[in-house]
Amino acid sequence: MSQEAVQEDLLNRALEAIRSWVQVEKTPQPNRVDVVIRREDLLTVVETLKQIQWGYLSAITGMDHPAVELGQEGSAQEGYVEVLYHFCEKDKVLTLRVSVPYSDAVIPSICGILPSATLYERELSEMFGVQIEGTPDTNRLLLPDNWPEGVYPLRKAFTGLEEAKEGSNE
Amino acid sequence: MTLNLNPLVILLIFPGGLFLIVAGLAYEYVDRKLVARFQNRIGPRWFQPLADLLKLLSKEEITPRGVQRDLFYLLPLFALASTLTASLYVPMAGLTPAYAFQGDLIVTIYLLSVLTLSMGLAGASTVDRFALVGATRTLTQLFSYEAPFMLALLGPAIAAQTWQIRTINEYAGQNLWLMIAQPIGFLVALLGLMGKLELPPFDAPEAETEIVAGALTEYSGRGLALFRLSKDIELVIGLTLVAAFYLGGIHSPLDFLIKTLGLLLVVALLQTLFARLRIDQVVGLWWRIGTILVVIQLIAIVIGRYIGSSIF
Amino acid sequence: MSEKFVIPIGPQHPALKEPSHFEIFVDGEEVIKATLRLGYVHRGIEKGAEQRTWTQNLYLMERICGICSHVHAMAFVQGVEALAGVQAPPRARAIRQVVAELERLHSHLLWLGVAAHEAGFDALFMYSWRDRETVMDLLELLSGNRVNYSANLLGGVKFDVTPEQKVRILDGVSFLEERVRYYLSVVNSDETFLGRTRGVGILSREEAERLGAVGPTARASGVPRDVRVDVPYAAYSEFPIKMVLSQQGDLQARFVVRLEELFESIRVIREILNNLPESELTVRMPRRIPAGEVISRVEAPRGELFYFIVSNGSDRPERVKVRTPSLANWGTVLATAPGHKLADVPMLVAGIDPCFSCNDRMVVVKTAR
Repeated sequence: MSQEAVQEDLLNRALEAIRSWVQVEKTPQPNRVDVVIRREDLLTVVETLKQIQWGYLSAITGMDHPAVELGQEGSAQEGYVEVLYHFCEKDKVLTLRVSVPYSDAVIPSICGILPSATLYERELSEMFGVQIEGTPDTNRLLLPDNWPEGVYPLRKAFTGLEEAKEGSNE
Repeated sequence: MTLNLNPLVILLIFPGGLFLIVAGLAYEYVDRKLVARFQNRIGPRWFQPLADLLKLLSKEEITPRGVQRDLFYLLPLFALASTLTASLYVPMAGLTPAYAFQGDLIVTIYLLSVLTLSMGLAGASTVDRFALVGATRTLTQLFSYEAPFMLALLGPAIAAQTWQIRTINEYAGQNLWLMIAQPIGFLVALLGLMGKLELPPFDAPEAETEIVAGALTEYSGRGLALFRLSKDIELVIGLTLVAAFYLGGIHSPLDFLIKTLGLLLVVALLQTLFARLRIDQVVGLWWRIGTILVVIQLIAIVIGRYIGSSIF
Repeated sequence: MSEKFVIPIGPQHPALKEPSHFEIFVDGEEVIKATLRLGYVHRGIEKGAEQRTWTQNLYLMERICGICSHVHAMAFVQGVEALAGVQAPPRARAIRQVVAELERLHSHLLWLGVAAHEAGFDALFMYSWRDRETVMDLLELLSGNRVNYSANLLGGVKFDVTPEQKVRILDGVSFLEERVRYYLSVVNSDETFLGRTRGVGILSREEAERLGAVGPTARASGVPRDVRVDVPYAAYSEFPIKMVLSQQGDLQARFVVRLEELFESIRVIREILNNLPESELTVRMPRRIPAGEVISRVEAPRGELFYFIVSNGSDRPERVKVRTPSLANWGTVLATAPGHKLADVPMLVAGIDPCFSCNDRMVVVKTAR
């Protein structure tokens, strides 16, 4: 088998193992596969990846999709946060995408399976207001101690703290 | 040559007080400059130790919360007084010790330990966590090097058959340099001195990357200045003592300068040569290697004397 | 002092060159547990990036970290180039790699000094920092800057390497090669230093993989993980690098791996400079980047640097996510610290070569006018 084929194999191996939970599959770049999975399946999928020893958790990215108040069709859509778990193996990247709505922004912690995830999860929870269920330490990691509760800086709706704005009026 | 000096002069100018302060600062400068040059740095200017001292003396002294106030202020004075007193029995600058009596060696060794004890107590009397850990380490280190250091100074005493520093000094001058006769004792005494002064690689008690400034973390202003000054003075006295015992005695000011500065050069070199030892490594080193070596040497000396006396 | 006792290290502490906060729970001298608090140098860069144009962001990303500024910019431009479907010309990619490897030289020598200082070995600290000046001068010669080199442009590089510069760089790296060889022998033979590094902070291969370690920390534990080899970027496919591995997994191995890596860096710098491809330095980039998502990974001196860039088709990014190597490696420190002596903790921290500015990026300090 050529080098190419081995590489090709890597992504297929992962996909085959987790196929039954995949809702949508995309290939945005030749060396990447993005799969959309449901929140309930997250732990199972991560566990499966760990069992077949595929890759390591490289990062957890949050993406904010604010509420669409009045769409063209007039249907309002609730804002949601998309959480991306990037797993890398050699040059291949597998991304698990899980979406959680603002009203129920809770996601199970994968620390039980991959302990290294805790710092990423805490960052995610502070920046996007996604509650991580079962992460070992929920103390503030990055934000200052006097940061107001319920303000999540990386949500699109956040444009600066009120007091900071006042302070800048020279 | 017995100088009949007014005791006040002895205490305030020579060999106590002023002379020692100047000598201490000068030796600190030489030490810092040498270490800097060995490390490829430029190093301080000649008046830097004095400038440091004056600056600290003029600074506000902060009393941290939770300290034993009396102890906190008395300990630096106590440390300085003890080290100054120790100089009275040592052939400072190559002149005859101001006072001498049978057993002054023991008193001097004791007085030299007071500085370390004071620092340990000073750290322990605060509530600062770095100071507490530093104090524990200071005292741990004291217990590990003190015995070998003392035994190392005992070697020459046994050889000279006296407990008087002045007599040992004279004995050392008349015989083969004890550094050659008792090499282990010399090495242990020199390293013990470095341990006493918490110089690298024995600076675990004040390892800045772990516990900031160790036992003295909470000190500022005058207290810190006095502790530092005591350390400088102890450096001079310690070097004098080792030179007098192991380098063929000290008999003139020139003799004193050459021998102590020569030792200081070695000490500075040793400081740059090694990485800091962990406190457990320090204890292990002194008890497993230092003590045993010195004891072996002592036994050898005693046996040597016994054989020597039975032949003649 | 037999009960639990908490030693705070940070936010201000002489062992830390940048702020962070550890709480070390000790029993006497022995560490029981360690916790971490970051964020003291948060600058809100990820949020700030969403309000700036692609070109402005290039300079913003370069300021995430002062030590590895070039790799941040490189990861960003490579991501953006991939989104735009543009490839930088060969000469530009080769120059990017030269600067990246020179940066690795400076970063590892800086780290060697810091780590030696943590061990109380100040002579090594002073010597390695003196020699580091050589590579700083070379970078200044190339770019005009000692720290933020600004080598990258979207679609190429800003400066060329002239023949005179080439000669001076080759001289400089030859001198450094000699010095690094000497430091390697010091690190491997000085007994007191070995006493602080050998067998300390052992991280097994399984642990390293489980904790997601990256870069030299992972390679010192025998995990073959190097983006330069796995996903060759810049000119790494034309001028490949050999991965340096060690199976020991202790602090000594981390010293050896980092120093031996430098020989590879020096070798590849020589090779590139002697065979610099001829081409333009830049290609045209569109102002608006087509919508899409891209992952850009590069090997920073500390390990894998991960960029996730989302474009919505405008002249500003929708989202830029930066995961720096230090963040990935923290887990290894927190996991290995218990059971060690307090004196080893600064060494363990230094062992992963942490970079706090890199860790802390995001809180908004910028205010809307």
